[in-house]
Amino acid sequence: MRIELSGKAFGPHQVLGPVTLELAPGRRLAVLGPSGIGKSTLLRIVTGLDDAADLHRQGDTRLAVVFQEPTLLPWRDALSNLTLVTGAPDAVARDWLGAVGLAGLESHFPRQLSLGQQRRLALARAFAAGPDVLVMDEPFASLDPETRDRMLTLTDRLLERSGAGLLLVTHDQTEAEALSATKLRLDGQPAVLSPEKQEG
Amino acid sequence: MTRAIFSARRAAGVPVWLPALASVAAIVLGWAVLAVLVDTPRTLPAPWTVARLIWRAAVSGDLWFQTGMTLFRVAASFVLAMGVGAVIGLWLGRSAKADAWLNPILVMTLNIPALVVIVLCYIWIGLNEVAAIMAVAINKIPLVAVIMRDGTRALRPDLDDMARAYHMRPLDRLRHVILPQLAPHFASAARVGIALIWKIVLVVEFLGRSNGVGFKLHMYFQMFDVAQVMAWSLSFVIVMLTIDYVILRPWERRANRWRRDEN
Repeated sequence: MRIELSGKAFGPHQVLGPVTLELAPGRRLAVLGPSGIGKSTLLRIVTGLDDAADLHRQGDTRLAVVFQEPTLLPWRDALSNLTLVTGAPDAVARDWLGAVGLAGLESHFPRQLSLGQQRRLALARAFAAGPDVLVMDEPFASLDPETRDRMLTLTDRLLERSGAGLLLVTHDQTEAEALSATKLRLDGQPAVLSPEKQEG
Repeated sequence: MTRAIFSARRAAGVPVWLPALASVAAIVLGWAVLAVLVDTPRTLPAPWTVARLIWRAAVSGDLWFQTGMTLFRVAASFVLAMGVGAVIGLWLGRSAKADAWLNPILVMTLNIPALVVIVLCYIWIGLNEVAAIMAVAINKIPLVAVIMRDGTRALRPDLDDMARAYHMRPLDRLRHVILPQLAPHFASAARVGIALIWKIVLVVEFLGRSNGVGFKLHMYFQMFDVAQVMAWSLSFVIVMLTIDYVILRPWERRANRWRRDEN
C-alpha cells in the first residue's frame, strides 16, 4: 500500500508536510523523531483515525494497530477481546494467545492480568486480526528495560512467523534496530520524512 | 492485593445483613415502646395492630390486588421512562449541538414539581390509566436523560479509536464497547428512578385512580384511619424493598462483575 498525503494542519498550525509511505508485508519501517513532531498524527492518518485533506491510498492492505496503552475491553475476557474485536475464529485467537504466552488465561478479565500480560494480549489481538502490516505507536515507551527487551524479542518473532510488515513509531532508535526496521526520520517544521543518516 | 482485603473483611466481620436487620428491629421496638407509652391507638397504633391489618388484607386478597395494580403502574412508567430517557441521554451526550438546544429545557423539566405534571396530565389527557402512567414517566425522564448523558460523555475515546482501527461492526461496537460502559450509569438511573417512581405512582393514584395502594391511602386518609394508612404504606415499602434486593441489586452486581478481581 502506498500512502501519499500533501500535509496536515491543525487550524493555522501546519504539522506535517508532504509525506509518502510504502507499506508491504515483510517490509519493516520505523519512523523516528522527537516527541511532539507529529509522529502520532501521521500514524492516526495512516490508520484512518484522522483524515487529512488530499490523502491518496493505493492498494488494499490490512493494518492492525498496537497502541501506546493496551486499550483492551475490561468487561470482556482475554479470548473475547481477541474474537470480538478482530472477528478471528476461536481457534485462531487461542493460537495467538498461546504464541504470546497467555495460554490458560483465556477466561481472565484484563484487570486480572499484569500490565505486561495486558500488553502481550494487545499484541496477540493485533496479530489475530491477520494484518499485512502491523502498526505500532510507541508500544515500548513506558516499559522497564527488561520487559521492553522481552516485548521486542516477542514482536520480532511473531512478525517473522506471520510474515507481516511493520510500521513502528518511536523516539528510540535501538527499538528500530532490534526489529531490524529501516529507519526514517520525521523532522522539520512542517515535518517531512527522510531516510535516517547512517552513523559513524 | 484487593483480593486479600476483600477476603479478610469477609472472614473477620459479621454477616452483612445482620446490622441491617438489627437496625430495623430497633426501629420497630422503638415504635412499640412509644405506642404503649403514648397510648392513643387512633393517632399512633401499635406495630401489632398494623401487622394484624396487613395480615387481614393479605388473607382477603385485597392486598395483592391493590399492590398488583400499583406495581403494574410502576413497571409501565419505569419501562417508558428508562427507554425514552436513555435515548434522549445518548443523543445529548453524543451531539453537543442537541445538548446546547435542549439542556435549558431539561433543567426546566427537572425542576417542575411532580404534582404540576400530574394535575396537568389528568386535565389534558383525562382521568385514565394513560394519563397516570404518562404523568409518572414524564416526571422521571429528565433524570434518566441527565444520568445517561453524563455517562455517554464519559465514554473512553481510546476504546473508540481502537474499535474504529479494528473496523468493528457498528452493532458489535454498541454491544461490546459502548453499552458496557453505560451499564453502570443505566443501573444507577434505574435504582434512583424506581425509588422516585413508586412515590409518584402513589400520588397519581391518590389523586385520580380508583384502585392501587395510593387509592387505599386516599380512602383511609379521608376516614382518618391511621392504622390502615400505616398498614398499606408499610406493606408497599416491603414489596419495593424486596424488588430492590431480589432483582435490582443482583442485576447491578452482575453488570459490574468485570470490575472485581475474583473470577
